[in-house]
Order: sequence, then structure tokens, then C-alpha cells
Amino acid sequence: MSTIQLDDIRVEFDTPSGKVVAVNGVTQQVPSGGFVSLVGPSGCGKSTLLAVISGLTRATSGQVAVGGKAVTRPGRGIGVVFQEESTLPWRTVQENVQFALQIAGVDKGEQVERANWAIDLVGLKGFEKSYPSMLSGGMRQRVALARTLALEPGVVLMDEPFAALDQQTRIFLGAEVRDIWQRSQQTVLFVTHDISEAILLSQQVWVMSYRPGRIIDVIDVDLPEHRDASIVSSPAFNQLHNRVWSSLQEESKRGFRQQETRT
Amino acid sequence: MSLAARRSASAMRGHENVKEIAGSAGLALVALVVWQVASGLTFVIPTPVETLRVLVANLGDPAYLTDVRATAVAVVSAFTVGTVLGGIMGLVLGLSRWARLIFEPLVIALNGVPKIVLYPILLPIFQLSGSKVVMGILFALFPVLINVATGVREVPAVYWKLGRSVQASRVQMLLHIILPTIRRPLLTGIRLAASLAVVGVVLSEFFATRRGLGRVVLQSYGHGDYAEMVATILLLIVVSFTVSIMLWRWEKRIR
Repeated sequence: MSTIQLDDIRVEFDTPSGKVVAVNGVTQQVPSGGFVSLVGPSGCGKSTLLAVISGLTRATSGQVAVGGKAVTRPGRGIGVVFQEESTLPWRTVQENVQFALQIAGVDKGEQVERANWAIDLVGLKGFEKSYPSMLSGGMRQRVALARTLALEPGVVLMDEPFAALDQQTRIFLGAEVRDIWQRSQQTVLFVTHDISEAILLSQQVWVMSYRPGRIIDVIDVDLPEHRDASIVSSPAFNQLHNRVWSSLQEESKRGFRQQETRT
Repeated sequence: MSLAARRSASAMRGHENVKEIAGSAGLALVALVVWQVASGLTFVIPTPVETLRVLVANLGDPAYLTDVRATAVAVVSAFTVGTVLGGIMGLVLGLSRWARLIFEPLVIALNGVPKIVLYPILLPIFQLSGSKVVMGILFALFPVLINVATGVREVPAVYWKLGRSVQASRVQMLLHIILPTIRRPLLTGIRLAASLAVVGVVLSEFFATRRGLGRVVLQSYGHGDYAEMVATILLLIVVSFTVSIMLWRWEKRIR
């Protein structure tokens, strides 16, 4: 069971211009096997919250627990897919996907077996021997996804994994991520600034405010389990989109104003 | 890539190779002609044929080979120690903010010092045979140090995050992330270290040593034996040139 439990999380950063509260008073839960998207204006602390859950950043106060165990540092049960280009250019696709397994000391035969499974899962079969430089941005992000999935973590955290990709690739990859999730029963927290993406993929959408980041709205996505692109034009989808957008709009404006007064 | 595309790409690479070899051969021919012409203008420069004859004769002479061996051993030791030492210092400088704050100005200042002026100080400490190795190390050290330090600082932040998220140990981090990331600047540093180790050792041998090619050059100059002098210089150039080219080709091949 891999429930993500957040209890009154607060994260402060020291910057040259003083202390910044990035995240404040976040108490939420992602049920085991659930898929939650986190949306918010840029600079609102979405990525910070994700880093806290992954154990890469320590919360200033509050508790994070995954599967009932407090998170204080990165662990094998939690996989992260980064926004930035994170494939290793000197390794082939196969070697990239085996990276985390190799670090974990998994024996060679099992490394290959699990990597093959993950490569197949993300649709990269036939590209095992390619180097990342030979692949498109979307395919490289699949490699990063496969690297994380190969560890078979109970929780997968995705930090705007498709932000650098074009719209079509985003939609394709999003559908695949949802497909993989439905088969794997992993718990997923997906950070994005794309409202449609958030609604299409998840069971629940959390809306985060501008700094200090708080969860200001939680919206259950009561769309059918099987979703394709045509659902975007349905009234139910539009209603959800409007609700998320109206929550977000205020915050985005506030964010702009604060950034303007600061400069 | 389709098979046809791959084939034409490799054909293109083959074509490039032919061009490269033709270019090098052409350049070598021009150099030979210039050399031949120059040798007719001044008695200091022997003809290419004469030089080659002396060189071959030298390589059959045990006394000369002792000098070759003395220089070779000094260069290889200086290169090895300089690269390892420079690499370790570069890693520390690149990884530790404190080490950088304290030692970076020192390193930059020391690199600016004409190292050969230190030779008279090294001599009484390391003796005749050790001083040239130390000088070679001083020459070889800095390019590796500076390239590694800069390379480490430019390791993308996401690689550090990746390493931490999969709980890589320090050693794993070094072997699987840092060293592969800095492979290019590291190899450039090693290539420069190889040629600078030669410079440091031979330069030292010009000043004071018992055996070595630098001494041979200086002695044949003193005796007016210009064929011997040029043949030895040629040997030094050809060997350093070959090593540099090999390292450079390796550098170009890596991903």
C-alpha cells in the first residue's frame, strides 16, 4: 500500500533577498493506487512539494509519509521523473533504463529482464541500442520514464515531465502514462501547468496558490475511466476545466502582480 | 535510421577519412619540400635524407637508446603522476565550494608562473634525475586540474538529483555520473598533459641532467653536429605528435 500522506507541510528557503515561504500548510492525501495532478501558477511551489515527497528536499516543518513510513530521504519505493532532460548521453537506451537498477545492485540478468519489460511498456522496443542523441525529445522522456518504472516503485512522482514537448507528443505520452498507471496500480502524483492534461489524466486535481503555495481547491474528476481525446469536447470536461481555471485565474493574477512589484 | 541512410552515412564517413588522409599526406609533402629547400640555404639544417640516416643510426646505438629511455621514463612518470594528481585536485576543487574559494586564486596564479624558473629550486631537493620529473608533473598537472574542475562544476543539476533519487553512493556518483559527464574536458586535459609532460621534461634536460634527449640536443648543438641535433628534435616531435593525434582521435570518437 503506497498512500502519500501530507501533514501540515511548510517549506522555507533562504534567498539573498530574505526568507521565502514556498509551501505552507499543505495537508492532503493521495490514496494508494490513485492518480492526482497538481496544477498551479509557475513559481508556486509545485515542484518543491514534489521534491519534499521524494525526499530530495526536507520540509521545514510537517510530516510526509509514503505507505505509512515517514520520508526523510530518497528511497527505492519512490520513483521520480524529472522535467529536465535527464537521460545519460553516453549510455544506450537499454543502459539508461538499467541505470537505477545497476545503482541498486540488482544482478545483471534481472537488470536486463526488468529493463526490457520497462522499455516495452513505454513503447521503445527496437531502440534498445540507440543513444539518446539519436532520439526525439519525446522518446528521451520515455527513456526517463522507463528508467523510473524499471524500479517498480510504489509511488511515481512526475515533475512536469512533458513540459518541453510539443502538444501532440504531450497528448500521446499522457495517454500512455494513464494506460501504464491503470495496469500497474502505482500511486501517481503528476505536476503540470496544463489544465487539460491534469483533468484528462487524473482522478483528482489539486489547485495550488501562488507563494506561499497552499492547496486552495481539490476537484474530483468524475469522468469515465476510459478516456480518449474526444472527451475534451464533452460538457463534463468543460465544466471541470472552468472550475480549475477559475480557481487558478485569481492565483495567476496575484502571482503576476507580486512578480511585477518585485522587479 | 534506415539501412540505406546508415549505409550512405558510413560511406560519407569513409569519404571524409580519405579526404583527411589525402590532406595530411599533402601537408607532409609540402613540409618535406620546404625542409629540403631550407637545408640548401643554411648549413644548420641537414637534408631530410641525411636526418633520417642519422636518426636510424642513432636508434641502433645503445648509448643513444639510454638517453631515449631516460627521457621516456621521465615523461611517462610525469604524465601519469601529473594526470592523477591534477584529476584529484580538479575533483576536489570542482566539488567543494570551500576548496574553490581558498585554492582557486592560488591555482590560477601558480598556473601563470613560468614554471621553469622553479627548476634551480627543484634541483637540490629532487636531484638531477628527479627534478625533471617534478618539472614534467608541474607542466602536466594544470590542464587536467582546470579541465576537471570546470567540467565537474558544469555537471547538470538534474544529474545530481537523479543520483540522489536512486540513492547512488559517492563512489557510484563519481563512476557513473561525474566521470562520464566530464569525459570530454577530461580527455582534452589528458591530451594537453601528454604534450606538456614532454615539454617539462625536455626543457629541464636542456638545463641540467645526466642523460636524456634534451641533453643530446644541447650537446650536439655545442659540437656543431646539426644532423644529430635535428634528428633528435625530429624524434621528439614525431613521438609527441603521434600521441597527441591518437588522443585527439579518441576524443572525437566518444559520445
